[in-house]
Amino acid sequence: MALLDKLKVWFAVKLAWSDEARLAEAVRGFQATEADGVWHLHRGLARVRDPRHRAILFAHSLEEEAHAEEFAYTYNQIGERAMTPATYERSDLYGAAEPTWKLFAYVHVGERDATDRFRLIQQTLDESLLKRALSRIVSDEEGHVDLTHRMLIEMGATDRQIRGEVRRVRLARLWEAWLRVGKRVVDRLSTVLLSVSYFLIGPFLFLFARRRLAARFVEFDNCKLKRL
Amino acid sequence: MVRVREAPVDEVTGRAPHRVLGVSYGYHDSSACLVVDGKVVAASAEERFTRQKHDANFPTYAIEYVLDVAKVRPDELDQVVFHEDPHVKFARVLTTVLAPFPSSRLEFVNSLKAWLGRKLWSLNQISSRLDVGPEKIGYLSHHFSHAVQAFMGSGFDEAAILIVDAVGDWACSAMYSGAWRDGKPVVERVVEVAFPNSLGLVYSAFTAFLGFTPNDSECSTMALGGFGRPVYADRVREIVRALDDDSYEVDQRYFNFANFYKGAFTQRFVDVFGPPRHFRDKLPFSCFGEPGEISPDMQRFADVAASVQLVLEERILGLARQLHAKVPSKNLCFAGGVSLNCVANYELMTRSPFERLFIPPDPGDGGTSVGVALYASALAGHGAPAEMPYGPYVGAAFDEADDVAMLDHLDPKHVLQYLKRGLERPTSGARLQHQSFDDRAALARAVAERLVAGQIVGWYRGRAELGPRALGNRSILIRPDDTALATRLSRHVKDRAPFRPYAFSITSEDAPRAVDLTPDQARMNRWMQVAVPVREEARPRLASAVHVDGSTRVQICHADENPAYHALLTEVGERLGLGAVLNTSFNASGYPIVQTPAEALSMFARTDMDSLVLNDTLVWKQS
Repeated sequence: MALLDKLKVWFAVKLAWSDEARLAEAVRGFQATEADGVWHLHRGLARVRDPRHRAILFAHSLEEEAHAEEFAYTYNQIGERAMTPATYERSDLYGAAEPTWKLFAYVHVGERDATDRFRLIQQTLDESLLKRALSRIVSDEEGHVDLTHRMLIEMGATDRQIRGEVRRVRLARLWEAWLRVGKRVVDRLSTVLLSVSYFLIGPFLFLFARRRLAARFVEFDNCKLKRL
Repeated sequence: MVRVREAPVDEVTGRAPHRVLGVSYGYHDSSACLVVDGKVVAASAEERFTRQKHDANFPTYAIEYVLDVAKVRPDELDQVVFHEDPHVKFARVLTTVLAPFPSSRLEFVNSLKAWLGRKLWSLNQISSRLDVGPEKIGYLSHHFSHAVQAFMGSGFDEAAILIVDAVGDWACSAMYSGAWRDGKPVVERVVEVAFPNSLGLVYSAFTAFLGFTPNDSECSTMALGGFGRPVYADRVREIVRALDDDSYEVDQRYFNFANFYKGAFTQRFVDVFGPPRHFRDKLPFSCFGEPGEISPDMQRFADVAASVQLVLEERILGLARQLHAKVPSKNLCFAGGVSLNCVANYELMTRSPFERLFIPPDPGDGGTSVGVALYASALAGHGAPAEMPYGPYVGAAFDEADDVAMLDHLDPKHVLQYLKRGLERPTSGARLQHQSFDDRAALARAVAERLVAGQIVGWYRGRAELGPRALGNRSILIRPDDTALATRLSRHVKDRAPFRPYAFSITSEDAPRAVDLTPDQARMNRWMQVAVPVREEARPRLASAVHVDGSTRVQICHADENPAYHALLTEVGERLGLGAVLNTSFNASGYPIVQTPAEALSMFARTDMDSLVLNDTLVWKQS
């Protein structure tokens, strides 16, 4: 698995990211990951009553925010356009009734994965702005891994509970990764199908479309409350 | 679940209340609004909850919030209304991407993926996500949604309605008449200008040309225009031609409105205006002091911005004249994304044939959820023109107690380690101290002292504002006469280019000393929607909040609309001689305005702000 990860990262860094646009897009993705972390930490924060635990989560969110900013800065140094952050539909990881330690377990797994991946990328990259940014970020993330583990223990979660929850989170992340792969496959297939459709219907409809776009005014009255 | 501090639900009337949920999403600025018996109970943009600026996704959290305020379950809703007609819009998108055949494969594929996969089924999605029967789901066309958004909250019995936007279903700009007959609103179409004749898209294309982000940074184009002369106006007028009937037509050879992957403008456009600005090239203009060295190229960009701004104003005035000829009312309601252009709004306010202008608190897409909900409610017999007006303070409120309690456990070293880029150490230290106030007047006095002493103060109180303007509940404030302080604010807090001006808030009592407005015009300037000239003699006292052309977006604050903020302004007035503060939105560049106390604290801790008010608690930094 580790060898496969190394190979994946090597191909991405040495081949795909030699194209600056792709590198910038990857950095945009890193920024989104960190910003997503900030959001989840703030959602978690709102449910934690213990002021000390809140302070730890808050301080953690400050770090993640700084990381997101670091990636945004890097993007703006290498990208062709100013960065517009990637957006996607948000959803909470845990319900309000679930214990706080479960949130820490999720954060712990996320931090460990991010640390491993960022470290691998950092080691593979040649000297660059992104490599320097990742060096700083990886050292922070390593601290997070230790901190979240300490917090899990401090919150009274037993080893068994922690292992069980970490396993559950890992499975959930694996399932998400599987869904992402599936989505990508469907995306590629639909690109092919829609491209074929374009060349099949385009020649018959484009003149009609051009005529329609030449109209200066909207001809039909669509001003009423309609029902589904 | 969002913790709501106050639940402003009407008293029980003895009959079941009529509840309508308005929803907008799919393109940008998703939002939700709950109207109960014809009154806006709560409304919010989704971006405030998700921290994703202009979030276009299904407004899950905004809906959760508005329903929670009134303690309403989805199955108790009488109606849910969506802000556009997905079927008509799909037809327009399909037409748009087919017209450039055979060079639009990418647009066709990506548009159809988005539409067939998701957007075409928006109404079904609303039904299934809320578990509300399809019989309760209604929808209006996009521009008609804007029309009712502009009219319903205006308080006018009758009005002409002008909508200028990028593009909706098919229309780009549109005119309507609005009136109340037999207790029901009657909004009728006068004319709708069809895509691709879009003033909004033209302005966005120029925004892209000037190196800013289209659909987001149009305000930068407007600000940059203040430093230029409209020497390219004739060329822009040739591209956006005025027609004999005061309407307009856009020469499509200059734009790629259908082939958006090819960039917003064409080579022909570049041949006329020169090469575009790269976003990393610094603009040397400043509102707060001496500009840097201005190269001819940089001056060209300012001149282009001034030119497109001038022509936009001319075309909007033309549309207003055309509308007045067809609907000869004294009242004009204006909405759509272009109505956020406060410089053009001044022209409309002072030079159009209409006497009174109304622009809703959030005139862009985010506010359509309010309009459609009010309209559906009124059609069902709930609400009257005098009852429907609403203010901007309809967003979420949060208790600060838990967040303040955590401050005692926060390590200043940690705060220092993760300061905003470019900031080595906050001017006033990193240890966060706090004090709670039982007495609002005492809090206002304490904050006024700090402002007068030259501090940058975050002011977070009560319910969030609806729309892009911070109006004294999610604001960052400084004294209005200190340009060096404004530079510090731009550099170390807001991360904002120095050519972008700030605005100020002023008490209604002191406003006549700063701006010259009729009572009707003063009413229009409650929500920072119009850039008005500042009196010559008041400019030194407001130097950091006035643009180089002497104008500003003023918020005239009335005691009955925002008592706490008005009290603060009054205290400042007692110390500085004018009850005004520079007021800018409480957000960092690229992020939405802060929503929770923790988000406010996060920005406060990482930037060079000195003090922060969280409802009734004052937080400050100490070395």
